[in-house]
Amino acid sequence: MNRRVVITGAGVVSSIGIGVDEFWRHCLQAKSTVAPIPANWERYAALHSRLWSPLPDIDPEYLGVARTERLQLDPGSVLAHGAAREAFERAGFNIVPDAASSRVFSLAGADPTRIGVYLGTGIGGAYSFLHNHTHHLYQRARATLKDYAETRASAQDRETLDGVLALMAHGPRYHPFVVSMLMPNASSAAVAIKFSITGPNVTYCVACASGTVAVGNAYRAVRDGCVDVAVSGGCEYLNDEHGHIFRGFDVAGTLLRDCADPDAANRPFDEKRSGFLFSQGGAAVLVLEELEHAQRRGATIMAELTGFAETFDAHSMMSLAPGGGQIERMLRAALADAGVGAHEVDYINAHGTGTKNNDETEAEIIDRVFGKSVRVNSTKSLLGHTIGASGAIEILVTALSLRDQTTHICRNLDAPLRDLNFVRAVEQSDLRVGLSQSFAFGGHNAAVVLRRFS
Amino acid sequence: MINDVQQRVLKAIAEVLERKEEEIRLDASLRDDLDFDSLKQMTLFILLEDEFQRTMPPEDLMGIATVKDIIEFIDRKLQEPAPT
Repeated sequence: MNRRVVITGAGVVSSIGIGVDEFWRHCLQAKSTVAPIPANWERYAALHSRLWSPLPDIDPEYLGVARTERLQLDPGSVLAHGAAREAFERAGFNIVPDAASSRVFSLAGADPTRIGVYLGTGIGGAYSFLHNHTHHLYQRARATLKDYAETRASAQDRETLDGVLALMAHGPRYHPFVVSMLMPNASSAAVAIKFSITGPNVTYCVACASGTVAVGNAYRAVRDGCVDVAVSGGCEYLNDEHGHIFRGFDVAGTLLRDCADPDAANRPFDEKRSGFLFSQGGAAVLVLEELEHAQRRGATIMAELTGFAETFDAHSMMSLAPGGGQIERMLRAALADAGVGAHEVDYINAHGTGTKNNDETEAEIIDRVFGKSVRVNSTKSLLGHTIGASGAIEILVTALSLRDQTTHICRNLDAPLRDLNFVRAVEQSDLRVGLSQSFAFGGHNAAVVLRRFS
Repeated sequence: MINDVQQRVLKAIAEVLERKEEEIRLDASLRDDLDFDSLKQMTLFILLEDEFQRTMPPEDLMGIATVKDIIEFIDRKLQEPAPT
C-alpha cells in the first residue's frame, strides 16, 4: 500500500519565534537571537564558547500547559505541547475538552486509534536529570557545610565557604516525578495523553537527526497504512542551571570559538565558521496525513512528503565519515523513494551546523550529488543548533519554502567554502522539490524529500 | 494569615481535582471524600510547594488526612524561615 502523505498542520517554538507565522516571518527577515551565555556557567568551568541562542520568555499557559502539568514535565515536553497544539489547530482539527478534565482533549471526528505520535529528541529530559541530580548530590552536603559555616567557621573561612555554598546551589526539592520527566519518551507520551491519541507512540533518539528520523518514520507509517494521521517532529531543551549540557558540546570542540562579534559569529558554510551556535532548545511538530483523509476533512495542505531514507556511517561517534559515502547512499535512496532524480531537486535545507567538518563534507556531497544549481541554505544560521528538534524545524522550513516559493538566506555567509548556489537573498523561485537532511553524533544520516502540493 | 492560606490551599486542591473550590469542605478526608490517590497527593504537594515556596518532603506529610490538616501544616511551614 503506497498512499500519498501530506502536511496539514504545523507548530513551532523557537528562539526566533513562537508559532509558525512569527517564526517564518522572522526566518525570511533573517532574524537571529544571539546572546552571551548565562554568567554563572563560567563559575563552574573554563568555557571556550561564549554565546548561545536563548528562547524568549514563554508562559507555559500560552502553550496550553496548566500549572499542574508544567510542574510534572521537563521543559522540553512543555515546548512539544505548545508545538503540537498549534499543529492540531492549524490542521483544522476540532480540539474538544474531555468530559472529565479540562486539561485533556480529543480531536473531534478523528479516530484516535488511527493517529500515531512520532517525536524525536537528542537528550530527552536531561534538564530534569541534572536539576534533580544536583539536589541529590548536594542537598545534605550543603546543609552540613552551611551549618558549619554559620556556627563554627572563622570569618576568613566563612567567606570561602559562602563561595562554595553558592556553587552548590540546587533546586528546592528532589522531584517525585523525576523518572517520568527525564525519560526520553516523556514528550511523545505527554502529547498523546494530552490529546487522547491511542495509536502507535514512538520516540526516536538519534541525536541531531532525531527530528528528521521521526518525521521520516511517521511518513512511512501513514504511507504504508499503519495510521491515517501522524503527529511528528522533534523537541529539545538544552538549558540547565550550571551549563553542564553546554560544556559537553563545548569541550567536544563543536561550538562557536570566534565569539568576538555575536551577530556575525554563527556562519555555516562560510570560510570563517568556527563551530555551531548552541540553542536553548525548541520544538516543531507536523501533522502528516493521508491525502484523501485530509481532503475529506477539507484541510489546507502545506506540502507533500514523498521520500525518506536513513543510513549509518559505522565510522565515528563524533565526526562524519570522510567522503560521505553513506550520506550519498542515503540521499540516493531518499530520491529513489520519492521517485525523483537529483537534478529535479530545487532546494536543499542543509544540516549546515557551522562546524569545520560538517560543512566541508556536506558541501562536497551536495556538489557531487546535486551539482551547483540547487538552492542551499542552513536554518541553523538563524537559530543555532536545537539538536533533536532541528530536523523537524528544518522540514517545516522546507515545507513553508515550497508553499510560498521562497526561502530564507544563509545568514552571515560572506565567503562560501564552496561554489554552491547558497541562498543569499529572499526572492521568488520556482521550488517544486525540496530536501531536508540531518547528520548526527553516532553516525546517523537521514533525509526527507518534499514536493510542492498542487 | 489563616484565611489567605486556606484560600490558596483550597484553590490548589481545586486545581488538582478540577473541581470548584466551594465543593471542598475543610473537614473532608483527602482519601475518602476527595478520592486523592498517592499520585494525586504528590501532585498536590508539588503544587503547594510552588504556591508557597516552601519544601514539603514526604516525611513531613505523614499524618495529614484532611484539608484542615494541610492548612495547619502550611501555616506552620510559613512560620519557618524562608529557604536560602
